[in-house]
Amino acid sequence: MIYVVLLFLGISLLLYVLMAGADFGAGIVELFSSKENQAITKKTIYRVIGPVWEANHIWIIIMVVILWVGFPVFYNVIMVSLHIPLAIMLLGITLRGVAFVFRHYDAYQDWSQNVYNWMFRISSLITPIFLGICFGALLSEKISIYNRGVIADFTTLYVVSWFNGFSILVGLFFASLCAFLSSVLLIGEASQEYAKVYIKKASIATVVVVIIGFITLSYGFYIDNLFVNLFTESMFAKIPVVISALLLFPLWKSIKKGRRIFSRFYAGVQVLLILLAAIVPLFPNLILTTSEPISILENNAPDSVIQVLGISLIIGGTIIIPGLIHLLKSFKLIKILERN
Amino acid sequence: MENLDAARLQMAFTLIFHIVFACVGMVMPFFMVISHYKWLKTRDYNYLILTKSWQKGVAIFFVTGAVSGTALSFELGLLWPEFMKHAGPIIGMPFSLEGAAFFVEAIALGFYLYGWNKIPEKFHWFTGIIVGGSGVLSGILVVSANAWMNAPSGFDYINGEFINIDPVKALLNPAWCTQALHMTLAAFTATGFAVAGIHALQIGKGKKVELHKKAFKIAITFGAIAALLQPISGDLSAKDIAKRQPVKLAAMEAHYDTGKGVPLYIGGIVNSKTQKVKYKIEIPKALSFLAFGDFNAEVKGLNDFPKEDRPNVPVVHYAFQIMVGIGSILMFVGILFFFTNWKRKQWFSSKFFWWLFVGMAPMGFIALEAGWIVTEVGRQPWIIHQVMRTKDAVTPVPGIIVSFYIYVIVYTLLTIAVTWLMGRQIKVLNETTK
Repeated sequence: MIYVVLLFLGISLLLYVLMAGADFGAGIVELFSSKENQAITKKTIYRVIGPVWEANHIWIIIMVVILWVGFPVFYNVIMVSLHIPLAIMLLGITLRGVAFVFRHYDAYQDWSQNVYNWMFRISSLITPIFLGICFGALLSEKISIYNRGVIADFTTLYVVSWFNGFSILVGLFFASLCAFLSSVLLIGEASQEYAKVYIKKASIATVVVVIIGFITLSYGFYIDNLFVNLFTESMFAKIPVVISALLLFPLWKSIKKGRRIFSRFYAGVQVLLILLAAIVPLFPNLILTTSEPISILENNAPDSVIQVLGISLIIGGTIIIPGLIHLLKSFKLIKILERN
Repeated sequence: MENLDAARLQMAFTLIFHIVFACVGMVMPFFMVISHYKWLKTRDYNYLILTKSWQKGVAIFFVTGAVSGTALSFELGLLWPEFMKHAGPIIGMPFSLEGAAFFVEAIALGFYLYGWNKIPEKFHWFTGIIVGGSGVLSGILVVSANAWMNAPSGFDYINGEFINIDPVKALLNPAWCTQALHMTLAAFTATGFAVAGIHALQIGKGKKVELHKKAFKIAITFGAIAALLQPISGDLSAKDIAKRQPVKLAAMEAHYDTGKGVPLYIGGIVNSKTQKVKYKIEIPKALSFLAFGDFNAEVKGLNDFPKEDRPNVPVVHYAFQIMVGIGSILMFVGILFFFTNWKRKQWFSSKFFWWLFVGMAPMGFIALEAGWIVTEVGRQPWIIHQVMRTKDAVTPVPGIIVSFYIYVIVYTLLTIAVTWLMGRQIKVLNETTK
């Protein structure tokens, strides 16, 4: 049953990265657009992610709940060591969410729109950076485990754990990945003439993702990071990364031909491969600390809890996933109909 | 300030904020679907305008509730990592089910908000019902986790270890039923009176009276019925607390010395040093009766418990008085509405009538927050009643006071923003023409 739970955890992570990632990315694309394009992007974003963005963000809650129920020790380390970046990320999620709704539901369209717009754009950039920093921190070997009674200074325990070159690079990598996902999504949703704008954005994002990814790995190699060493040695990491890079060709082909379903599919598979490449070589030691790595398979909750958790996830999944697919489908269908 | 106090303040502050939004987000969909139903039945445009305007309110409140809820799901771990490490697996079930219910709610809300003229009319209306139903369900489920902290069950606590964990038994803990009932009714009362009060204000000002009267009637019907039922649920809760958490009950009543045939104190000023309550109204033997259904029953006083196991008595006592006082007022005002609607329709044209309801608008929420202060402060010094102390659960990360201030600033600004946005919604509603 533990593997069922881990599968759900993995699926939630993938869906969160894909869907919330595209959602964050939309704000980043808007941030880096000219004034005229910003207004159009805003409308497109509203149409595309308006109905689903709340559902997108529930995946992170599911992840957090699975972690604390099933893997309490693991969860404890994350919550204590990464308190600061998580708190900043939460503020970002809060401000971003309310700004998104305020700017569409405010009864008047006046100066206040400017406030919401900037709040939305800036928090859309900051939130994924800090989320990425948290991902990076888990792999950075900089987390020191807090022990009651052992005196350690604040900086080592709570700042260096995430405020380090590697984690920050992963943060930037994640943000650019979001921008990439989002521009691929937006290409299919914009009208012909604006699709060009997003094609340009997508190509910039692709280049940025590749460059930052390369810098991150080289830096990790340079500082002799365990994760990067395993990553470069393991076939489970190399093969997905190579496939993911090769997928760029069919991706761009389908973008140019306007096959939006395919282009989204390729982009999604690329992200899945990147996640697999990052997780598989390490598994199950998913937190690398200054001392021993922490395994997600050790110190997990008792079997009785895992059983019940697995069953509730299966039941919940069978209710939620069809509803969600129906929601996504409904509004996609509607959009195609509207355009004709 | 100590880290523990800062963490408690931050938790209290974010919960106080979240509860308001969560309640409105779970109750307002019901008003919305009633109005929507009336629009489908009568095709009276007032109902359509009202439904659409309430739907915007629901969207704004839902998202604020959802993001502050996301923040809370993290804060549990960020502020109380030791609690979550041990309690997380035990109370995971209500949280995972709540997550599922919330997910259903978000999906249904997506359909409802964006479905106008796009999906079949009846299905569209029905998605509104799902929004409300799953909202209430997730509220009930999350209360189970809180009830478990008051009535820990589903595990054995041996030598500081939590063993033989039974998550289903923890979900179905003995405090759940009474607490969930009390909270659900409170949510309907508070939101009903708040929404009714806002529309009463517009009627009082003479703006779009016909429309606002329709809105008022829908909201107040829910609020008043819930307010009438609340005393029954309150009585169940009191009897439950008397049995399981006698020290909380004693603090609520500022009752220091154990005795038989104990009087009930209404109001009064508590001096925790001299253990005396001044300026109170005393009802002989009433506490014994309310707690145990017997005028001569023995009620344990605070002095029966070690000092380090007692909560802050004045805070709990005052909060309890506020909750019960306001609850009673709302019940009578609710009766007044039904009486007016039934026998004295002419009162609907009196300004006084409407201003009375304007005055009631914030009352339900004040009572609701006071009630949560009773249950939360009343449980102290325990985070898990008689199992884990709050001070042992707090995070080792220093400087929580900084994050507390940040939350105060951000949430205060959000509250101002949402209030201001609601004002603008009403303004535009008053300007809308058919």
